[in-house]
Amino acid sequence: MRSNLLLISKIGWRSIWRNKRRTLISLFSIVIGTGIPIFFVCIAWGFYAGLIDDVARLMSGHITYEHVEYRNSPSNDLWVDDIQKIDQTLNNNSEILTTKQIVNLQGVAHTAKGSVGISLMGVEPEKEITISFLPENIIEGKYLSKGDERWVVVGQKLAKNLNIDIGKKFVFTTNNVDGELTEELFRVKGVFKTGSKEIDGHFVQSDIGIARKVAGLSNDDVSQLGIIVKNPDNHENFIKDLQKSVAKNSGVFLSWQKIMPDVATTIRMDRTAISSFMIMLVVIVLFTMFSTILMSALERKREFASLLALGAQQIELKIQIFLETIFFGLIACPLGALLGISLAKWVEGYDMMDMFGGKAEDMTVGGFGMDTIITPLFSLPLILQISIFFFFAVQLLSILPIYLISRISITDELRSA
Amino acid sequence: MNTNNEIVSLTNIIKNYDNGKVITKALQGIDLKIYQGDFSVMMGPSGCGKSTLLNIIGALDRATSGSVIFNGKDFNSLTNKELSIIRRNQIGFVFQNYNLLPVLTAYENAEYVLMLQNIPLSQRKEKVMNLFKEMELEGLENRLPRELSGGQQQRVAIARAVVTNPLLVLADEITANVDSKTAQSLLMLMEKLNKNNNITFLFSTHDPIVKKFARKVILLKDGRIDKEELSSENI
Repeated sequence: MRSNLLLISKIGWRSIWRNKRRTLISLFSIVIGTGIPIFFVCIAWGFYAGLIDDVARLMSGHITYEHVEYRNSPSNDLWVDDIQKIDQTLNNNSEILTTKQIVNLQGVAHTAKGSVGISLMGVEPEKEITISFLPENIIEGKYLSKGDERWVVVGQKLAKNLNIDIGKKFVFTTNNVDGELTEELFRVKGVFKTGSKEIDGHFVQSDIGIARKVAGLSNDDVSQLGIIVKNPDNHENFIKDLQKSVAKNSGVFLSWQKIMPDVATTIRMDRTAISSFMIMLVVIVLFTMFSTILMSALERKREFASLLALGAQQIELKIQIFLETIFFGLIACPLGALLGISLAKWVEGYDMMDMFGGKAEDMTVGGFGMDTIITPLFSLPLILQISIFFFFAVQLLSILPIYLISRISITDELRSA
Repeated sequence: MNTNNEIVSLTNIIKNYDNGKVITKALQGIDLKIYQGDFSVMMGPSGCGKSTLLNIIGALDRATSGSVIFNGKDFNSLTNKELSIIRRNQIGFVFQNYNLLPVLTAYENAEYVLMLQNIPLSQRKEKVMNLFKEMELEGLENRLPRELSGGQQQRVAIARAVVTNPLLVLADEITANVDSKTAQSLLMLMEKLNKNNNITFLFSTHDPIVKKFARKVILLKDGRIDKEELSSENI
């Protein structure tokens, strides 16, 4: 059987090169069919990975620890306590890169020009510099430092709307944890620009100390504890473990998908669109190749008949046709993967706005601005998944030729010679 | 050369082709015996059933009724797979259009059936090379069929048919596509294989040159054997 298989493989391999031009066209269509989706997926998944990481680091981490009711109504009077101990425990976990303590306050900023509803996030500035991209996006003034009492950084659009500049002040009105109205005066230390209308227009960061003071929280209380993990993709089981071992009665660990459902939904929809595009491409490629493979088998009916006459078994002919499509897949799918990866590598580092035009402000997902610099994600499992998917899709093409060859009549074919 | 060992015994073979509207009676009660060492030819006008009979003897087709006993085995009781194994191991075919596999070299074409039989490489090489030497095909081993003349291709096809030392070689109009000189040399070669290796040949042909070489001539007419005659010249 081994020598038979070698013989069948040899005949199959040489048969596909019998009509070189036809074979090259078929291979080209599979290469393109595999390469283009890999290219798009590398780029898109890279964007998503970057976006998720940026947003998670800016907001409340890949995993967030917060009050069990905070998600339904993120009000100032829902906080979690005993946070220093929890923070220390989490930082000793090897899966966790770092954590960020956050006090969120929803309120209104007033200046002589007017009032704007804002979200003030109290953070630890020295940590925030290492975690978030916001400190790098300061376009005027400086970012916060530890112990900055009444200094804040504000978005460019908010600064414009409130007509405030570096060193200028505004009044922030909010409720403390007891539900009492409270006011605080803040001065602008820096102005940032992220490209997101929401963040640039309604987001303010201050030192966590002053935020706690305004809210009436102790040093052991936070609105949220953001957790930055090493592997943001697979954290469902990790969250369950944390919930069991670390969470207090009122606290709950949630994934970024639950914290930012808009972002998660948009990414899911985008991924579905790309997958649909990929399936359409598969259908087009298969359709292109189908006639080639079918014709290549049917024009050899007499050859197959004479092989059967010489004593070859039907199964051996079926294996030969199947091997021919395997050869197509084995040659073209890796080349397609290489093409997709090379294209993605080639555009790496380019700014999408330079390539396709448009405004960076328009590139938002779930209200968050996207980094327009192309940073592909070369995920080996994903690339293998697409290549293998295409490989098996190509194998489907051998079904009809195999069926038709299994029905040939030796005498009819030899008579027609 | 007839040793009286019966290889094929046909009894009352009837073959009808039914296309749904018309039934064509191709063979109408053929009784025939072929013995080891025979060098026989079937002749007759077009449509007399030569090729149909050859296909039935070669296990390529089944008779509508009647029995085919090949080397003691009744084809009616065998499955298609078993018939295929008989073709592989005991019957050689030479076709009018050679039917060599265009992607295999002359050597590989001749080696093909030996590989199907799982003969080890060294034995395959020895058998094919010896045969190529005997058939004056030396030096053509690595040529593809398209690089060979019609006569050379037919020699390779004959080599492929006899390399396994089959009980019977069936040759269908093998001189139809070659000139008379080449036809003569092919027949001389087959006659030599018949005499030296005791390989049984059964030809189907219109060509009178083939008749000149045959020791038994079977004349077919309207699906029946009209006459069987022995050629005293070649016995």
